Amino acid sequence: MSTNQALAERLPRFLVPKVSGIKLVAILIALMLIGLLIVPVAIVIFVAFQDPATGALTLQNFVDFFRTSLFRESFWNSFYVSSVSVIMATVIAMPLAYITTRFNFRGSIIIQSLGFIPLIMPPFVGAVAMQLIFGRNGSVNLLLRDNFGVSIPFMEGLNGVILVQSIHYFPFILINLSASLRNIDRSMEEAAQNLGSSGMRLFRRIVFPLAMPGYIAGAALVFIKVFDDLGTPLLLNVNNMLAPQAFLRISSIGISDPMGYVISCILVVFSIFSLWASFLFMHGKDYATVQKGGGGMSKRDLLFSEKALAYAAVGFILLLVLSPHIGLLLLSFGTIWSYAPLPDAYTFANYVTMWDGSKDYITNTLLYAGLAATADVIIGTMIAYIVLRTNIFGRNALDYLATAALAVPGVVLGIGYLRMFHGVNIPFSNEPMASWWVIIALALMIRRLPYALRACTAALQQVSSALEEAAESLGANKFRTIKRVVIPLMSAGILAGFVTSFATAAVELSATIMLVSSNSDAPLAYGIYLFMQTPSGRGAGAALGIVAVILVAIGMIMSQLIIERDKKLRSTGDTQ
Amino acid sequence: MTTEKQGIEIDNLHLSFGDTEVLSGVNLSIKPGEFFAFLGPSGSGKSTLLRAIAGFGPRPSGSIEIGGKDVLDLQPWKRNVGMVFQSYALWPHMSVRDNVGFGLQERRENKAVIRSKVDAALELVGLAHLAERMPNQLSGGQQQRIALARTVVVEPKILLLDEPLSNLDASLRVEMRRELLALQRKLGLTTIFVTHDQEEANTTSDRMAVLDGGVIQQIGSPQELYDTPANLFVADFLGTANILKGDVTKTAEGFIFTTQTGDILAIGSAETGSGSIVLRPQNISIEAKNGPRTISGTIKHREFLGSQMRYLIDAAGIEMVVDESHRAGAKWFDAGSRVNLAVNTDAAVVIAG
Amino acid sequence: MKNYLRGSAAAISFIAAAGAANAQETIVVITSFPDSMTTPIEAAFEAANPGYDLEILNKKTSAGVKYIQEIAGQNTADVFWASAPDAFEVLKNDGLLATVAVTSEGIPDIIGSYPLNDPDGYYYGFAAAGYGIMWNERYLAANDLEPAREWADLKNTEYHGHVGMSAPSRSGTTHLTVETLLQGEGWDAGWAEWKWIAGNFATVTERSFGVPDGVNTGNFGLGIVIDFFGFSSKASGFPVDFAYPTTTALVPANIAVVKDAPNSDAAVAFIEYLLTPAGQEVLLDPAIMRLPINPATYDNAPEGFPNPFMDSSIGAAVSFDVAKSGARYNLVNAMFDVMITYRLDDLRAAVGAIQDAEAKHADGSNAEAMALIAEARALIEASPIAEATSLDADFAGIFTKKRKKATDEVGPRQAEIEQEWDAMVVANYGRARELAEQASAM
Repeated sequence: MSTNQALAERLPRFLVPKVSGIKLVAILIALMLIGLLIVPVAIVIFVAFQDPATGALTLQNFVDFFRTSLFRESFWNSFYVSSVSVIMATVIAMPLAYITTRFNFRGSIIIQSLGFIPLIMPPFVGAVAMQLIFGRNGSVNLLLRDNFGVSIPFMEGLNGVILVQSIHYFPFILINLSASLRNIDRSMEEAAQNLGSSGMRLFRRIVFPLAMPGYIAGAALVFIKVFDDLGTPLLLNVNNMLAPQAFLRISSIGISDPMGYVISCILVVFSIFSLWASFLFMHGKDYATVQKGGGGMSKRDLLFSEKALAYAAVGFILLLVLSPHIGLLLLSFGTIWSYAPLPDAYTFANYVTMWDGSKDYITNTLLYAGLAATADVIIGTMIAYIVLRTNIFGRNALDYLATAALAVPGVVLGIGYLRMFHGVNIPFSNEPMASWWVIIALALMIRRLPYALRACTAALQQVSSALEEAAESLGANKFRTIKRVVIPLMSAGILAGFVTSFATAAVELSATIMLVSSNSDAPLAYGIYLFMQTPSGRGAGAALGIVAVILVAIGMIMSQLIIERDKKLRSTGDTQ
Repeated sequence: MTTEKQGIEIDNLHLSFGDTEVLSGVNLSIKPGEFFAFLGPSGSGKSTLLRAIAGFGPRPSGSIEIGGKDVLDLQPWKRNVGMVFQSYALWPHMSVRDNVGFGLQERRENKAVIRSKVDAALELVGLAHLAERMPNQLSGGQQQRIALARTVVVEPKILLLDEPLSNLDASLRVEMRRELLALQRKLGLTTIFVTHDQEEANTTSDRMAVLDGGVIQQIGSPQELYDTPANLFVADFLGTANILKGDVTKTAEGFIFTTQTGDILAIGSAETGSGSIVLRPQNISIEAKNGPRTISGTIKHREFLGSQMRYLIDAAGIEMVVDESHRAGAKWFDAGSRVNLAVNTDAAVVIAG
Repeated sequence: MKNYLRGSAAAISFIAAAGAANAQETIVVITSFPDSMTTPIEAAFEAANPGYDLEILNKKTSAGVKYIQEIAGQNTADVFWASAPDAFEVLKNDGLLATVAVTSEGIPDIIGSYPLNDPDGYYYGFAAAGYGIMWNERYLAANDLEPAREWADLKNTEYHGHVGMSAPSRSGTTHLTVETLLQGEGWDAGWAEWKWIAGNFATVTERSFGVPDGVNTGNFGLGIVIDFFGFSSKASGFPVDFAYPTTTALVPANIAVVKDAPNSDAAVAFIEYLLTPAGQEVLLDPAIMRLPINPATYDNAPEGFPNPFMDSSIGAAVSFDVAKSGARYNLVNAMFDVMITYRLDDLRAAVGAIQDAEAKHADGSNAEAMALIAEARALIEASPIAEATSLDADFAGIFTKKRKKATDEVGPRQAEIEQEWDAMVVANYGRARELAEQASAM
């Protein structure tokens, strides 16, 4: 019975260091992040520092990069596209966030949920649908040309990338900005009105600066995502940007051009730099101003004319941001859609074809994204707890490390995993790990961890540590306190994190396309990609895309309802 | 930095949040230059009334006139009414100087004027040296002063203070309320002060209105309200009161009040019929021996409050509170002692109903 | 565990299949062919050989090669199955393919002028395909255009901005088309021809399927595509058609066993099945539409289906030098990307300006303008390197994977050379445009 204990006591102390449970967890998470994020990325990037001819270490490749005008141009194009996409996304997100948080506006919840929908479509699918609607000979331009004799180059070159990216990624700004706006105390605004400020001046001088931290967080995310994104420019055949240049050079047949890896390295470094700059900007600007005696954001009733204007603006924006979905829906029910504003005829056949060939894709996606998101919220909660509630040395590094995953392009992580795991066997079998489906789930987990981590951190920040101390003083130990007090109070935030991770993991393609080792292991986004590679499969691919959107949207709306109910429960609990 | 003193006339003001009426039939007249307090428990409608004057919240019916002009249809930013918020609402992204200068900028004053006015306002609250700080670098009391400076610098017609002292430490609160009063006297601004703390209201205001359930219960100077409460709510809310139910009858010797337990007290003139008598603890004395028109009782408990000793006494069917002033060497009754209570009925108020 | 987790959604058929799979030999196939092609073939093969289970893994040709290179240390793939012979050459040179003995009957040694099988026995042809021009009928009607029938037609002014093609570096078969023209017309004239055609491009797509996709949706009107994309798009009901130009590359689509394949024997069985009359017959499926390599199969082909064994014009005009192609494979791709893919906007603008100037001076009477136009044309056509350089093993080696020994003399790096080329073409295109605009202004 007591041999275990005795053995531990007999061993020298350094073999059994006294490590508290929570420290052990921190060490394990750190090891996992190093193993699954840092090492694979380092493996890929290392090539950038090797001489292509001799394999010796060198910085020559970076010199070449900056000497090559095509790369400099690509860098500026990427920078330009990312910056303009941020501006466009702001133009889309700002009115939606402003109207839904500041005014009594019917359907605010619907707008906030619909606003999330663009994120849950693989960008390349969005690009296909956008081509059909806004392309050179898409519905809009065909109609314009027939009726007015003009056409607008929405989708030409960099314009197309900007349009698709801003429509796809604006929810990041919408979500963060809305949260920030809701956190502005009513009295902040009233004080300004009281002193004679109103309208746009009030928004510009008080409301927006106070919402700035949320806006910057969202905008930085959009910037990095667009900077790293590969699928959209490739699908629109835009090559003169960094990410496509990296991909084209890494994946070309038999080419050993180290430039692809140099570009990967520059992508990672630049993304980390952007992330760091946004952190720096937000430092000391935590303006959560809801205070005692305050009442959150004041919601105003709209005058009739204002209401009409608001509905028109919201309607137009929703039509624009949902146009990929409308296009996809038409495509999925259409027979042939060629050089015409609408499909020739409508049919259910695509759904039949899709259903016959896609059950595996759907179940795989639910499995991978489910596992990844579950792991994300568990690890996210642990990291949030370690960062906010302990004083373990280097705890912030854990946060930065997990967040750094944002800055790693999916393709780089995918290649890194292939290289790292292809020599290792799955436990208890002779199959290499690289072709094991679990690797896909792991990659998704690492890529979506930052989303879950942010949600969990925000949730834990709202749990007063006095509540924990109360439980501890009543005799609950750390573990039981976390289990019985902290986790239940964080549940809404954890759920939000789960849904965000799940929804975005479900449509991820950039890392999975490198890691899928057999079609029966492929997730949904890959299935759509395959369908869309054949002339007869476009409709079926679109149908699968619609299924993906519906699946994820149901999950999101359900979680939204649960979160709202939870909020209500808690607020009634406060007042009584 | 003085303005023409403005009075406020509120007539038949009603206000609802959805189906709940939070202000019903408020009539109030505040004189120019007066320091006026709204006093009431939370949920009484005092803050809602203040916010309605500033123009925040749903539009009420009735009328609010400031300086003879109805302001109900003016947006908050057109009213020129200065308000200091309970949370101070200092904008964290602006320095102290920018916070204080904000209203002047909105009024399109030129830069030199803004600078000198801001300096003067900061001087007024004694914080000129903190002009370049950010709000999160200030203590609570300093934030309070800045919020005040930010409000008065625009020379508003009236000054509204929403529980301005509630976020301060007890010691600071006393100091601040004196400063507030001094400042108000200096500027001569008509001021409304919302509080749930009767001591704050008593020590600062010229007159005050006690609110409950969205209705003004009584208006008057602090002493009037304390000494002659118009109803049981006011009597109970302002200070400690022993309230005995009974009947007023007129006898040959004058009016008497017979409690439900049969004790008889002589009172001044009052409406005959059932009523309640309000006895302040300091107006009751404890006599060792039985006498006429006294109430007998048993001491349950005593509390030493420093300047006085407070007894809780089982008498007249309730637990009565009696205060005896304390001098060194005084003797005290122990719990369980049988005592007789003599009432100074000159100071008693009888409320009909 | 995972099968269990998939739960009821997988339905009974799945469980039945999974149960049966235990008794079967699995063949892992890396292929660039789409589902619409692999599914009928897989079904036919498994029906004929119940003992085998084909596990299809779909990757683009280039990604497939990359994948096999990456997993080489611990190979799990049995078969590599794709169109482009060059991809097989790359794998063969990397020592990643196995030589196997495959027996078949009635299969000729060459198709068109291209040898069907690898002379060293590393890979085998199983079908043929040729490049041609695909067009969208509605698009052409709306823009008042006639279909282009020959490569040279694509240079015509009326097609400016209406043509699409994929980059040879992204698509092995596109590479063959590029190389065919270079060998047929000669190095310099071939590149000039490509640049004049590319001057009319609407886009250079990243995937080879991007071209038929663009034509199908009407994003652009004409595309340079491999025949089966044209046939299968038409078969799917799109308003498109396809034609072979008189000179085209007719090349085999290939299949090979990967080195250290876990299931080599089964892999051979699959290859042998593809070459049987029954296997060849499946290629005529409307969703596949590849040219069978067994001449007898054409007896069952639908009306109008081209027969390369009867119609000698298809694929006959050029004798294709595989060795030459292989020697400069990556170099040609890099040149195409630098001169065309990455600088398409500049090239298109310059070619457009020249077309305008030529239209204005169609009568050729203004000698000064004609001189400017000729100068501009020369600038477009200028090639950064001569053919001899392209065949210099050391120079071409800069663009390949092989790492030299540390003691070898280190030449210029790929990035340096590409920068040189890029600087040259950007300057040339810009100058050509200026000259053409000057000529137009006269």
